[in-house]
Amino acid sequence: MKGELIEGRRRLEDELGKLVGNIFVPEAKIFGMACGCVGFAADLRGLRSDDVEVFTEKINVILEEISGSVGVKPEFIYARKLPGSEEVVVLTTRELCERCKREFAGSKAPPRPDILVLKKKR
Amino acid sequence: MRLTIPHPGHFSALQEIIEAKEAEGLNDVEEVFMGGSPDVMGSGRGVLHAPLLDEIKEQTEYAHQHGIKMNITMNATCAGGHHLSLEGYKMFEWYFGELNKAGVDAVTVAEPYLVELLHDFPMKTIVSCLAYVDAPQRAKFFEELGADVITVDTNINRHFDLLKGIVKAVNCEIRVIVNEGCLYRCPFRYSHYNLASHLSSLDQPRTPLFAPDFYFDKCISIRLREPAQIIKSAWIRPEDLKEYEAIGIKEFKLSGRTKTVSWIIDCMRIYSKRSFKGNVLDILDCPQMLRYMFHIENERLERSIDQWKACKKICNDCGYCDTLTKEALIYLK
Repeated sequence: MKGELIEGRRRLEDELGKLVGNIFVPEAKIFGMACGCVGFAADLRGLRSDDVEVFTEKINVILEEISGSVGVKPEFIYARKLPGSEEVVVLTTRELCERCKREFAGSKAPPRPDILVLKKKR
Repeated sequence: MRLTIPHPGHFSALQEIIEAKEAEGLNDVEEVFMGGSPDVMGSGRGVLHAPLLDEIKEQTEYAHQHGIKMNITMNATCAGGHHLSLEGYKMFEWYFGELNKAGVDAVTVAEPYLVELLHDFPMKTIVSCLAYVDAPQRAKFFEELGADVITVDTNINRHFDLLKGIVKAVNCEIRVIVNEGCLYRCPFRYSHYNLASHLSSLDQPRTPLFAPDFYFDKCISIRLREPAQIIKSAWIRPEDLKEYEAIGIKEFKLSGRTKTVSWIIDCMRIYSKRSFKGNVLDILDCPQMLRYMFHIENERLERSIDQWKACKKICNDCGYCDTLTKEALIYLK
């Protein structure tokens, strides 16, 4: 798992860089939450929400593959912006618990204004 | 009852909130509130969206088409004195003028100077709970400054003597926040909201973009060590709204504009219908993370309002909330 995580961080940085220019991914991690959700998250700098909108499908493919390699089903994929700006600071894939399927991913609108939803499993 | 609902700020959220309100006939919902521009002023909560004036206008028009009022919340507790400078005065006067032109119905502020400044505009002046109005005299001061509605300090939500006194002392409307779970008489309250006010403002270049939230982390730890503090917090059960109406309070506000759209809609539904079965922590704005640790079944708190209405709030002598915690709180494993 350590190897996959390190490789996933490097791959994300490289592939996003090929799409939009210099991207820095200082940290990638898998997480488990109190509610039951598990996920993969990558902090990053250099990516803007416009980039995410233009390259959504390509970014999803990259994230799905990395997520799968670390054992997380990418049911819900989202980007988090720095509030009040267009800077994307985290990309996350998440295997949702029952509560979050409804509460976090259950609305037609993005759950919060700083979240860009890239993929939602129907 | 008139219910004011948090709006996270993005247009699609407003549409979904209003869609749910209309589909379910939640007719008590009259107003939504969202943060204004952090370029002008921060607010008491984190700002997740920075609406430009054109967007505020567009959203306000949409809300009006559906019979909903728009309230812009600018309730930073500290503006660093900028608002009192000529430059600050001009900026706030300009911004309030633009909000007015955008059709905004009300502006929520905590700063007394801004209460007085807003008096020059036809929009309603809503005094924030962060003005800490906790007594009839303080309410009168704010009414004289120009308040149309006063949101009382949540610390007195269960002090019915003070609430009655405030209602009697002023002519303006009195509003209570129903689902804030802050520590009762929290020692961090002023410092925490000052921190939030500075961090959510883009107009103060010397403010750090990030600071460790000492107050929040302490707040959660205190409740983990002493869960009775959750019961002592001044939230109001949906079933107990009638007790407030009985003393002349008709305005109720839900807290939670940094929460998810689905959660906001759930809370709107629950408070509109005045009935809830489940974990009280699920409907509190804060400390929401503790819902994974504790379960407080709402039905087990039935009639506890009778005690809280009469309570002298001398906890060491009373012990009611400690006993209630033992009866109603379950540790989740």
